Amino acid sequence: MKYNKDIMRHLCFGFAFLLLLFSCKHGEGEYHGVSERIEAESEHYKGTSLSSEKYLEGMETIEITEGGHTFLIPERKGQIRSYACTECHTEPLHKMQSKDVKKAHWDIKLVHANENTMNCITCHNPDNMDNLRSLTGKQIDFNNSYNLCNQCHTKQFEDWKGGAHGKRIGGWAPPRASMTCVNCHNPHKPHFESKWPARFNTQKVKERE
Amino acid sequence: MSSNNKKWFSLNLGTKPKASNKSCSCGKTSGGCGGAHSEQQQLSDEEFAKAAINASIGEERVKDGFDQVFDVKMDRRSAFKKLTASLLIGAGAVSTSCSVISGDEAKEKAQIDWEEQFKGNYKLMTDKEKEATVNRLVRSYQLRTGKTISMSSKNAEEDVLFGYAFNISKCQGYMDCVNACVEENNQDRNSQMQYIRIHEMKDGNGFSFDEADDNYYHEVPAEGHFYMGTQCFHCDNPPCVNVCPVQATWREDDGLVVVDYDWCVGCRYCMAACPYDGRRFNWSKPEVPEAEVNHNQHYLGNRMRKKGVMEKCTFCVQRSRAGKNPACVEACPTGARIFGNLLDPNSTIRWVLENKKVFRLKEDLGTEPKFWYFMD
Repeated sequence: MKYNKDIMRHLCFGFAFLLLLFSCKHGEGEYHGVSERIEAESEHYKGTSLSSEKYLEGMETIEITEGGHTFLIPERKGQIRSYACTECHTEPLHKMQSKDVKKAHWDIKLVHANENTMNCITCHNPDNMDNLRSLTGKQIDFNNSYNLCNQCHTKQFEDWKGGAHGKRIGGWAPPRASMTCVNCHNPHKPHFESKWPARFNTQKVKERE
Repeated sequence: MSSNNKKWFSLNLGTKPKASNKSCSCGKTSGGCGGAHSEQQQLSDEEFAKAAINASIGEERVKDGFDQVFDVKMDRRSAFKKLTASLLIGAGAVSTSCSVISGDEAKEKAQIDWEEQFKGNYKLMTDKEKEATVNRLVRSYQLRTGKTISMSSKNAEEDVLFGYAFNISKCQGYMDCVNACVEENNQDRNSQMQYIRIHEMKDGNGFSFDEADDNYYHEVPAEGHFYMGTQCFHCDNPPCVNVCPVQATWREDDGLVVVDYDWCVGCRYCMAACPYDGRRFNWSKPEVPEAEVNHNQHYLGNRMRKKGVMEKCTFCVQRSRAGKNPACVEACPTGARIFGNLLDPNSTIRWVLENKKVFRLKEDLGTEPKFWYFMD
């Protein structure tokens, strides 16, 4: 009688074990969610053989390190048509301002913040046109103009450093190259214009009629 | 309908067959429902069912399976026609390849067609077989159009899992992404199929897709609206893959959910299973003007599709597996789209996931999409 009971108990345990074995197996994945999977699999990340270097060829870039992020941004000075500024601005600005000289930069209209906050010399240095000037009078290179923008736009700067704001150049693969502020925003008129969508699906209209 | 004519089993719970001659669904036994129809017009349930079935499936109702196909009344002429047609398709390849008259090119074409017809599922192919089918497809395209394309069969890279993030406060609804996608992926120009949908949503209404406009045409961004894009989310637990009866769609090791267009039978189960409307069907033969065809192709990506197969966004597999960003990411003028390797702790996509407040659509379904939305 006792012997039988033991067998029964063993059978029961065996059955429960089998049940557990099969019922706990949900799906094929080893992880509960993709976040868990990312965490686990990236622990031993060794890097990929893919590189976006070849997509950056023929492009002048400079490497910057900001807040623990090191990446490339396009070189700027070579892209400004009339750089160096001192080729025309041979003298400080106040000496050049007269009625006899032809007006330059007449086409630039500042649509950026309001008049109380900004005018030309908030960013430009009238005594040294080849460099930009911070709010405290420090020199900022045209190549690193993001340092000028981040004086006010701190939140955007944080996002840009991490990669949530702005746009990648080349591809997703390392090395990271990102556009800098002035590659998308015109510093004199940084707002994005409204425009018509690039495409209209006429077939969808027909189908839904 | 009498029960002996029934071809399905129904549970008999002891209910007597209704004396349904004069009753209708409203339960009245006389006078009809509201007296709307007269006695002469009124059909009994039984008669109505009979008439309806006769009208719809006719004699097929008593035949099944093979009988329906082979027991078709046909005159000799059309029977021969059909027979020869199917024979021609089957034996055409053989006859051309064995023929002495037909040129080398025709023979080669027939040989390619034959081998393509009987190739296996891409998922099960060895790298050599993958290369062989890609070479055949390239040669076939060359023979047919005289143009050379490059087609890749590049496998998933190790230590790569693709992920995507979409900034809903940046998107302005310009639709440059849609344009780039159509051009990159050789989508049918006639049906104007698009993988990406941009939904224009009212501020303050949340994500109400039923009220959103996904086919707007006015200056954007419109006052009081925000924009969000949907496409295939490349779920980590993709319901579309589970329902495919022929395993023509699967999840690759780098997380891309792909389709073998040559193995797909076009049943559209996956389309029904996808909770995000991420899949598209080719109702007609996709046509792309020769000058606009993107010649940089991948077997699982933007190669030319045919009628009656499913397709969808592949995160531009031909680009992403080469280290590039998908076409939509590259085309976006606002930087609302972020793409990258989820397994690289230093990647920008990882920074977004770890530092921004991200969410996914219908997260409670457990599909685990690898497509996150976030705001500034």
